[in-house]
Amino acid sequence: MSIEIRNITKRFGAYTALDEVSLDVPAGELVALLGPSGCGKTTLLRIVAGMERPDAGQVLFHGEDATDRHVRERQVGFVFQHYALFQHMSVFENVAFGLRVRPRATRPPEAEIRERVMKLLALVQLDWLAGRYPAQLSGGQRQRIALARALAVEPRVLLLDEPFGALDTQVRKELRRWLRRLHDEIHVTSVFVTHDQEEALEVADRVVVMNRGHIEQIGTPDEVYEHPATPFVYQFLGNVNLFHGRVHAGVADVGGLRVPSPEHDAVEHAAALAYVRPHDIELSRQPGGGALRGTVAEVRPLGPIVRLEVIAAPTGETVEVEITRERYQAETFRSGEVLYLRPRQLRVFVNPAANAAPEPARDFAI
Amino acid sequence: MSTVILSPPLVSETTTEPRWVQRTLIAVALAFLTLFLFVPLLAVFAEALKKGLGVYWAALVEPDARAAIQLTFLAAAVAVPFNLVFGVAAAWAIAKFEFRGKSVLTTLIDLPFAVSPVIAGLVYVLVFGAHGWFGPWLAEHDLKVIFAVPGIVLATVFVTFPFIARELIPLMQAQGTEEEEAAIVLGASGWQMFWRVTLPNIKWGLLYGVILCTARAMGEFGAVSVVSGHIRGLTNTLPLHVEILYNEYNFAAAFACASVLTLLALVMLAVKTFIEWQTRHPHPAAPPAATAAGDTPGRAVGDPA
Repeated sequence: MSIEIRNITKRFGAYTALDEVSLDVPAGELVALLGPSGCGKTTLLRIVAGMERPDAGQVLFHGEDATDRHVRERQVGFVFQHYALFQHMSVFENVAFGLRVRPRATRPPEAEIRERVMKLLALVQLDWLAGRYPAQLSGGQRQRIALARALAVEPRVLLLDEPFGALDTQVRKELRRWLRRLHDEIHVTSVFVTHDQEEALEVADRVVVMNRGHIEQIGTPDEVYEHPATPFVYQFLGNVNLFHGRVHAGVADVGGLRVPSPEHDAVEHAAALAYVRPHDIELSRQPGGGALRGTVAEVRPLGPIVRLEVIAAPTGETVEVEITRERYQAETFRSGEVLYLRPRQLRVFVNPAANAAPEPARDFAI
Repeated sequence: MSTVILSPPLVSETTTEPRWVQRTLIAVALAFLTLFLFVPLLAVFAEALKKGLGVYWAALVEPDARAAIQLTFLAAAVAVPFNLVFGVAAAWAIAKFEFRGKSVLTTLIDLPFAVSPVIAGLVYVLVFGAHGWFGPWLAEHDLKVIFAVPGIVLATVFVTFPFIARELIPLMQAQGTEEEEAAIVLGASGWQMFWRVTLPNIKWGLLYGVILCTARAMGEFGAVSVVSGHIRGLTNTLPLHVEILYNEYNFAAAFACASVLTLLALVMLAVKTFIEWQTRHPHPAAPPAATAAGDTPGRAVGDPA
């Protein structure tokens, strides 16, 4: 079951939560809506579910317009951030709920309900908890039960609103791997909302990066991380160093460094921002062409990597550089030492205030 | 680090009062309670039983007293279900939806708390009385509201209507709407959602509200006194009957009837305490206890003896 979202607009009073958002989710994919809080991702998910009504635009399921279809007729499975399990019902009854509330004509017989519920509980590996109550479960267990409950109605699409947001780091990691495996098993079209970039990159087939009611970029986890389309995506996905500079006739001047920027051939004397990831900077003790001079201010070992804060000589800006622990042990850079920084990969965006990033097409296709 | 280690004993020393202060406070509280609560309570039963069980019993089974008891239960039996429906509807609207005039509605619900019961009674006299707005129309159709049972019920409903709504609003607001949304997404209809999800979630708060509402409905004096007309055997509720007996220097009978009201109040309080205890330990004993406690208030209300 594919989902098409066409030009959805949603306002809450004067605040525009979604501004003409369009998005296609092909059948069987697991898509992450990623963005900071308030970017509209949860609103979009709720509109797809039918819990929120868009002011304009359409939601199509499998090519059929579902915009006016009531939430209970959309056959979606929804998983809430805070589980929303029915507190007064046992785990079994929670999962059975969607089957029990069906009209008598379509309600499966008791024996079949029992069988299906136990099968789902086995799928989420919690069949031994059938008789317990939600309050007796851990957070991770509750969320798995919530997922089983959502799957019980055989949804055509599965929607998850920050499904791991309320869990602690260890459980979260375990559960998202588990979700990925589960999706590979059952292949139901799924959309999940998250503000955690690591989660989106690890779990999703496609990542939709959202900001202020717009879609900034759509792509595979690798694409959005390696080739961010806009300054926002650059900043939101991982650490990044930001340099202010100017660009003219295909060459950017960034903190005294001249970098070819062929995509801005036509630009004349414009302010520019340049982004470099901390791990995309080569450190060297030898001066050379295309290198910035800097002084090491601080060295911080962080597990497998070592982060150095370097004060760049021309501008006095602090630059973060990450190198592997092995490299650090071999070179033993010390604070106070003068080094040369050479960006391996640097992305220039012109006049960011006017958002001159490559103009995003109106209709994003995944 | 050192402050963290040092702080627990420091805190407990500074926040705990010396022994003698604790004991004095407890003694003062106990003395106060004895004087203003236990002694009057005992006095009611002592006075009631002063002339022996025979007189006590006669005072209760005498026709006027029985009529008063019946009317009291009738008023409560109408007012409580009415306020139950109204309270749940109002609390639902206020807790789960945003609409214009929400704060006005919330304030209006509190009106019976703010207004003197006598005023409430007078309002009904002005509206439904012989010279009131609807008086002539009612007289034409041979309907009696004031100085009759309907007026008493109306006054009781008015005075008791905040209890259930007030109890439910904060509870429902705290619970939010996620479970209801989950039910709807799973295909439940509005009714199914209400009976299977909303109601079980608010049942303890609802019972608590019902008990407070019942206790107040049976004990209401002021508003009922204004609209009743004090017709013996017809429009006297138990509190009014007690007053009449007392004014006639029939102390034993007055206190006998008062003791019935007191007993009802005590039962209500006991049930209330039980419910409070239940809500504090809802899991895992909740499912079996739910049915047990569900019966209790029903018995207390429905059984006049």
